[in-house]
Amino acid sequence: MTATMREIEFRDAVREAMSEEMRRDTRVMLLGEEVAQYNGAYKVSRGMLDEFGPRRVIDTPISESGFAGMAIGAAMLGLRPIVEFMSWSFSLVAADPILNNAPKMLYMSGGQYGCPVVFRGNDGAGGQLGSTHSWAVEGLFSNVPGLKMVIPSNPADAKGLMKTAIRDDDPVFFLESERLLSLKGDVPEGEYLIPFGQARIARAGRDCTIVSFGRPVHFCLEAADALAREGVDCEVLDMRTIRPLDAAAIVRSVRRTGACVVVDQSWSFGSPGSEVAALVHRECFDDLDNHVHRVHSADVPAPYSYDLEQEYLPNTRRVCEAVRACLYRA
Amino acid sequence: MPVQITMPRLSDTMQSGTIVRWNVKEGDSVASGDVVADVETDKATMEMPVYDDGVISKIMVAAGQQVPVGTPIAIIAVDGDDGQAVAVASSPASAQTSAAPAAAPNGQPVPHAPQPQPQRAHAVDSPSARVRVSPLARRMAEELGVSLDAIRGSGPGGRIVKQDILAAANRQPSAPAPTVLETRPLPAETALAYHAPLGAGSSEVTVSGMRQAIARRLVESKSTIPHYQVAMRVNMDPLLELRTMLNAQLEPQGVKLSVNDFIVRACALAMAAHPFFNASWAGDRIILHGDVNVGVAVSLPAERGGGLVVAVLQHANRKGLRDISTETRALAEKARTRGLGPEDMSGATFTISNLGMFGVDNFTAIINPPNSAILACGAAVEQPVVRNHQLVVGHEMQATLSLDHRVIDGAMAAEYLQTVKHNLENPATLLV
Repeated sequence: MTATMREIEFRDAVREAMSEEMRRDTRVMLLGEEVAQYNGAYKVSRGMLDEFGPRRVIDTPISESGFAGMAIGAAMLGLRPIVEFMSWSFSLVAADPILNNAPKMLYMSGGQYGCPVVFRGNDGAGGQLGSTHSWAVEGLFSNVPGLKMVIPSNPADAKGLMKTAIRDDDPVFFLESERLLSLKGDVPEGEYLIPFGQARIARAGRDCTIVSFGRPVHFCLEAADALAREGVDCEVLDMRTIRPLDAAAIVRSVRRTGACVVVDQSWSFGSPGSEVAALVHRECFDDLDNHVHRVHSADVPAPYSYDLEQEYLPNTRRVCEAVRACLYRA
Repeated sequence: MPVQITMPRLSDTMQSGTIVRWNVKEGDSVASGDVVADVETDKATMEMPVYDDGVISKIMVAAGQQVPVGTPIAIIAVDGDDGQAVAVASSPASAQTSAAPAAAPNGQPVPHAPQPQPQRAHAVDSPSARVRVSPLARRMAEELGVSLDAIRGSGPGGRIVKQDILAAANRQPSAPAPTVLETRPLPAETALAYHAPLGAGSSEVTVSGMRQAIARRLVESKSTIPHYQVAMRVNMDPLLELRTMLNAQLEPQGVKLSVNDFIVRACALAMAAHPFFNASWAGDRIILHGDVNVGVAVSLPAERGGGLVVAVLQHANRKGLRDISTETRALAEKARTRGLGPEDMSGATFTISNLGMFGVDNFTAIINPPNSAILACGAAVEQPVVRNHQLVVGHEMQATLSLDHRVIDGAMAAEYLQTVKHNLENPATLLV
């Protein structure tokens, strides 16, 4: 990106993407709890009601199943709705529409109805919200064929990927993080889109490939800095989307480094992290000096206690330990 | 039970395979996943892994031999095998049954003579003594020439890992200067391969099977054959004049002779007087081939993945210009559209590479093993030339031979080029 940069927050980047697409295409609309009058529970949709009016920026009742289903119906009949879940934790009550209807619609209607809807909201631990409000849904939902899953780690990617998500003809699950919404980052002026399935090399290195996405990418970069002081040169891949997954980028990198650590904030059993590990073991078997090491949230409900929650989540120290173990330096 | 290894089917169209090289010898221990041999198929040279742990008790097909898919090529004695069972497995009768394609899974059971005391032919391997080694470390050990036997692994359970190999490689005294030239070819994939991380704006292109085969064969050729070149200029005016006339008169018959067709015939006919140019070095002897099968290098279009193949014109010494032209054109067309079959690419005894149509003045080519010579032709360029003490304008072509000095000496090369030049400058010799 050679365009002029300015520094804006993650939440502003998401809003710019939505607003630009709503100006470009009158079929695009936003609905969810408090997105209109209150400017969004997390101020992502600030000012959008003023610009686009109440027919396109719609406050809904506290009824995820109802408004998610309504958006799916609208998408089937030609609109391109964006649904804000205040938290992905609350999307669980809408499991039937978002998992059982949206991703299967094209298939079950024999191609008659697509479902170009974007579901977005905060994912992962927000910080002492308790177990029921701290869901990382990437493991649970990425298991379902027919949907796309985007997990940006920074403002620039969030904007380019959101624009691609809105123009995509399939249901897109767009996972933001409450912990990242205030993160500032360089975002190019002017329009740009980032295609799905294209990982970003967040940091190049020779000794170990760290595969991650979303908020944990930041822990990986911090860990890479710390490990560099020990003489370990890590390559950090930010996958950006896990459905589709840029398998080629992972394989290319691991074939160079011979070591791979996956950092994924979902639980380990049947997760994107286990999928990446299987991929690497299959495609890079002869290149590996050790099995793939994985850092996940601990296999328990998210704790409320601050200290326990920090230890439960992937963090910089745990990433460092995994890399050292993978390189037999533990 | 001993496990019989058969020639695997490594591509849809593969009928037979050639063992390029064995990486193991009889008595060597192997583990599942070890690459025991390189196998050349119709498309590429590929690595052949085994799927069992044991000891190679018998190698039944020597390197360089070509056998049909399904043919038994080796036997692995697995834990508890005895010599007699191995002997049964390698008997012709059982080889016969498993040679039937599609019905020859690895590890076909064979009659097993009971033996009260199982005794291993080679005591080097037992399950408890199995060397644990990471896949990367195993590969690096091969590349660096480090023996795994002497290493104590630092990983869990004594696993040998990358750092153990690097440490062992550092400990090894640097090899004394070899007194005998090592002639084993460098593997194409490791020789001077680029391993640094990619810079900004860089990208990678996956190496196709064909590109692997090109790399392997050319590295082998250039690093084992003592190449040298001899060049000569050829007056092409008579030939071009004759060609114009022939093509004009034969046009109704659909004949369009190319300059290369004349060169193929000129080279093929010259072999009668110069048999060493239609020959192969075989270590302790030189093979002089009977027929002249001329390989013609054909570059492939990008949409077929690029690269090049050598199409072989069989018995070129027994064919007239018309047949040479028709067949060469058909082969080139097939190569560029459907792809050549193994029969179209095998058996070359001499090769011609012609870049004249691209305006190249002259170049040198790498010998196509097992040939002992290759001719590189430039364009017939219109230029000032001296003919009969007069400065005139004429067409001249540079022909450059690359030669295997083990087979052909410089004076012989000059004589052969003289004959080819004479044939081209007196093109009636190519007609009748």
